[in-house]
Amino acid sequence: MQSANVLLKKIVRSSVLPFAAQHGMKKDLFPLSRTLSLSLCLKQDNSSSPSEKLDLDGWKKVMKSGLQEEVSETVSESKELSALAAARELLEMWRLAGRSVPEKISEEQLKTFLECPSKSAKKKYLRYLHLRELYKKNDKRKMDEKRERRLESQEQASKTDENKRNSFICLWANCMDRAYSWRVAQSMIFGQPLIFDMSYEKDMSIREVANTVRQIVLSEGCNRRSVDPFHIHFCNLKDDSLYHKEFIKHYREAWGKLLITVTDQCYTDVFPKDKLIYLTADSPKVMKTFDHDKIYIVGSMVDRSIKTGVSLARAKRLGLETAALPLEKYLLWNAGAKNLTLDQMMQILLTLKDTGDWKKALEFVPKRKYYGFVSKPVHQLQKTLNLINTLKLGKRQEEVQKQFAKNYSKKLTQK
Amino acid sequence: VQPPEKPLQAEEWNRLKESFQSPAVFEEVMFNSMIRCNSPIDVAKSLLTHVAKNNGDIAYNLLVKYLALCVQQGQTSEICDVYEIMKTKFKMLESGSYNLIIRGLSNSDQWRMALTLLEEVKKIMIPSRTNYECCIKAASRHQEMNLAFELYHEMLTKDLVPTLDVLQAFFDFSRGMKGAELQKELFGILLYLRDNQIYPHKMFMRSIKLWFESIPGGNWRGQLTNIKDSGQCPVCNHQLEDSDLTEEEYNNLRERIIRDVIHGTDMFRKTSPQEFEAFQTFVENRLPFDIVIDGLNVSHIKPRKMQCENLFDAVNYLAKDNARLLVLGRKHMLINSSNWKREIMKEMQNKADFFFAENISEDDAFLLYATLRSGKHCKFVTRDFLRDHKACLSDSLTRHLFRKWQLIYCVKSKKMFLSVFIQQPAFRYDCVVQTTGDTWHIPYKDTFEEKYSYRVPRKWLCIQQK
Repeated sequence: MQSANVLLKKIVRSSVLPFAAQHGMKKDLFPLSRTLSLSLCLKQDNSSSPSEKLDLDGWKKVMKSGLQEEVSETVSESKELSALAAARELLEMWRLAGRSVPEKISEEQLKTFLECPSKSAKKKYLRYLHLRELYKKNDKRKMDEKRERRLESQEQASKTDENKRNSFICLWANCMDRAYSWRVAQSMIFGQPLIFDMSYEKDMSIREVANTVRQIVLSEGCNRRSVDPFHIHFCNLKDDSLYHKEFIKHYREAWGKLLITVTDQCYTDVFPKDKLIYLTADSPKVMKTFDHDKIYIVGSMVDRSIKTGVSLARAKRLGLETAALPLEKYLLWNAGAKNLTLDQMMQILLTLKDTGDWKKALEFVPKRKYYGFVSKPVHQLQKTLNLINTLKLGKRQEEVQKQFAKNYSKKLTQK
Repeated sequence: VQPPEKPLQAEEWNRLKESFQSPAVFEEVMFNSMIRCNSPIDVAKSLLTHVAKNNGDIAYNLLVKYLALCVQQGQTSEICDVYEIMKTKFKMLESGSYNLIIRGLSNSDQWRMALTLLEEVKKIMIPSRTNYECCIKAASRHQEMNLAFELYHEMLTKDLVPTLDVLQAFFDFSRGMKGAELQKELFGILLYLRDNQIYPHKMFMRSIKLWFESIPGGNWRGQLTNIKDSGQCPVCNHQLEDSDLTEEEYNNLRERIIRDVIHGTDMFRKTSPQEFEAFQTFVENRLPFDIVIDGLNVSHIKPRKMQCENLFDAVNYLAKDNARLLVLGRKHMLINSSNWKREIMKEMQNKADFFFAENISEDDAFLLYATLRSGKHCKFVTRDFLRDHKACLSDSLTRHLFRKWQLIYCVKSKKMFLSVFIQQPAFRYDCVVQTTGDTWHIPYKDTFEEKYSYRVPRKWLCIQQK
C-alpha cells in the first residue's frame, strides 16, 4: 500500500510535465521571446575567449551582473502597486511566460478582466482579446500590402494609357446606394413587413447582444440589396437599451436615416394577431410554404448556451402561431443546432419570397451542418453516405453513421 | 529533438541550433524535450549559459522551463537560485512559476519558504488549490498540524475544494499523535465528507482506519464490512441512519421544485398557466396517489412492442396491489393510431387516473409535482434520470436533496423477459459518513476513481470504541 502511495505522489508530481509541454505547443504564436537587457561588455567578453572550460553556473553570473544597473531603478520606482497596475503587471508576466494574453490592453478591458467572476472566465476573456489582437494585426498587414500593390499598379497604369474615355462618370457606389434606397423606401409603403423582436435583452450576456446586433446589421444590408426588400420593423426596442446602444455604435449617424420602422411597441399592438407567425426552431409546426400575406417574426436573440423554448414561450404567451423551417424535411442533418443566425434567416426568407424554392433558400444553411439535400429516396442517400464515410472516415465511425442513417429512415417512415 | 546527454560547449550548441529547422524557437523546443526526457540538470545549465553569453540575458519563459526541470528533479538549491534571480529581475512573478516554486520548495527542507511564497501569491490573486495542497502537505509532513489546519480552513473560506489527497495527508501524518484539538479537527474532516457526500477511496479509508486505531488510549477498532439491506451493520449491530427525508427537508424540496422547475424563469417554457392550473385541480381532487407513471417513457421500454401495450403491461402490473395510479401522458396518445389503440387506452383508464398534457408541454414537471403533492409514500416510475430538471434547481444543497429523494422514490423499471417490472431495491439507509459518538460508519469506494455519480458504494468501514 505504501508503495502505491509513493506511485501516486509521483504521478502528481510529474504533472509539471504536460504543463510545460503545453506551453511549448503555443510557441508558434510567440516566435519572439522578449529579452530584457543587453549588456555590451559581455558580448565582447564572449568573443575574446571562445574556448574555455565549461562553466555551468556562468548564466547566473550573467543574469546577476546584468541586473546591477536595473535594480536601483526598479526599487525606487514602485513601492505600492494599485490593483489595476498590479493586474497589468501580471498580464505582462503571463505574456512573457508564453500564455495567450494580449500585448496591449486598455483601462476598460483591464477592469472587465478584474470583474470576471472566476479564473477560467479571466482566461477566456484574455484569450478572446489576444485572438482579436492577432486578427487586427493580420488585417492591418494585409491592408498595407494591398495599398502598396495598388500604388504600384497605379503607377504602371498611368504610364501606359493616359486618355481613356467613358460616357459615365465613375460614381458607382453612390448611384447604387440611391437605387437601393429608392427600392427600400417603396417597400416601406407597399412591402411585406418582417419583424425583429427585440425583447430578449435579459436572456443574453453583453457579448451575445453585441453579436445579435451585428447579425441584424448584416441582415439589414442583405435586405437593402435585394430585388424586393422586406419592410423591416424593430419591435419592443426601448430607448437606451443595450440593443439601442449597440446599434448606434454600428450605424453612428446613419441610425436616424435607416429605412426601417423602429418602435417600442409590441408587434401585437401594431398588427392583427391572426396575421403574425413567430419563427422559432422549437415550434412543433413546420413551415410548408412562404405566405406573402402573413407577417413573420424573428426573435433577435443569440443563445450560445442553447436556451430551449424561450421564443416559443413568448409566442405561447401572446397566443401567436409559430413555425419552424423544414430543415429535417429537406436536409440530411449532420451536426449543430437547428437555430440559424439572423442573417442566414434573412437570406432564406428573401429567397423564399422571391422564388418560393426551398432548395435554393436552404442553400444558406451552413454547409457543415448537413450532409446534403433529401432529393433522392432515402436508401440511395444511405448508399452515398456510406461511400463518403468509407472514403473519409475510419471504420468505427462508419458504423455510427450507418446507425444514424437507419434511424433517420425509420423516422421518415414513421412520419 | 533529442536533448544531448552531456553538457555542451557553446560551439556545439550553435551547431545544433543551426541544424534545427526553426532556430528562433530552438531553445524553447530544446527545454521542452529536456523536461520530457528528464535530462540531467547540467545539460540545461550549459544551454542557459550559452544563451546568456550570446544574448546577455535569458527570457522569462526559458527560466520558467528551467525551473520546471529543477522542480521535477527536486534540486532545491537551484530552485532558490532561480527564484532569487527572478525576484530581482521582475517586479512580480506570474502564477505558473509560483506554482512551480511552491511545489518545489514544499518537498524540501526549505518548506517554510513555500509559505512565504504563498503569502506573496495572495497579494496578486487567489492561490490555486494545488498551492495550498503543497503547503499543507509540507506542514503536516513536519508535524506542524496546527499550521496545516490553519491553511486548510483558509482554503475552505476561499471556496477551494480540497483534494482527497490533502485530506488523506491529515490522517496519515497525525497517526499516533495525541490531543483533543487535533482529534476534533480530524472529526471535522469526516463531517466535511458527510456534508458533501464524498466517499473516500480504499487507500484513504485505510489511512482513516489506521489513524483511529493509533489514537493513544482510544481503543478504537475498525473492520471492513457490507451493510445488510435492512441497514444493520453486521459487525456492531448498529442500525444506520434512515434515508427518509425529514419533514422539513421534504417541504423545502417541494417548494423549490415548484418554484424552480415548474415555474422557472418563464412558465410558458414548459407548460402554460391554464394547463398547470387545470392539472393542479385535477390532482387536488384525486389525492393521494401511490404511484405516478411517466406514460410516454414507460411506453418506450420495449421497442418491438406497440407503445400502448407496453404501458398497458405496466399499469396492469402496478395496479395489482390496489395502488392508486396516475398516468401522465400527452394528448396525441388519445388519437387512434398504429401505436395507440383506442380500446386499450379506454381499458387502462378504468384502472388508473390519466392526465393528458398538451403535445408541446413537458410532462416531467407534472410528474414531479404530482408525486411531491401526494406525500412521502408516493413513488414515480420512469427510466429518466431527470438530470435537466435537477439542473434547474438553483443551489447544490437542494440538488442533493433532489437526488436523495429521487434515489428513494424512483422505482426504476428494468426490462425483464415477461415485461415484469422489478423495483430496484431502494436503500433503507442513508449512504453517508455517520457517527454516534462511539461508532463511525464510513462508506468507501473500491476503486480510485468514481465511475458513475449515481452509484453509491456498498462497502463500509465500521469503527467502534471498545
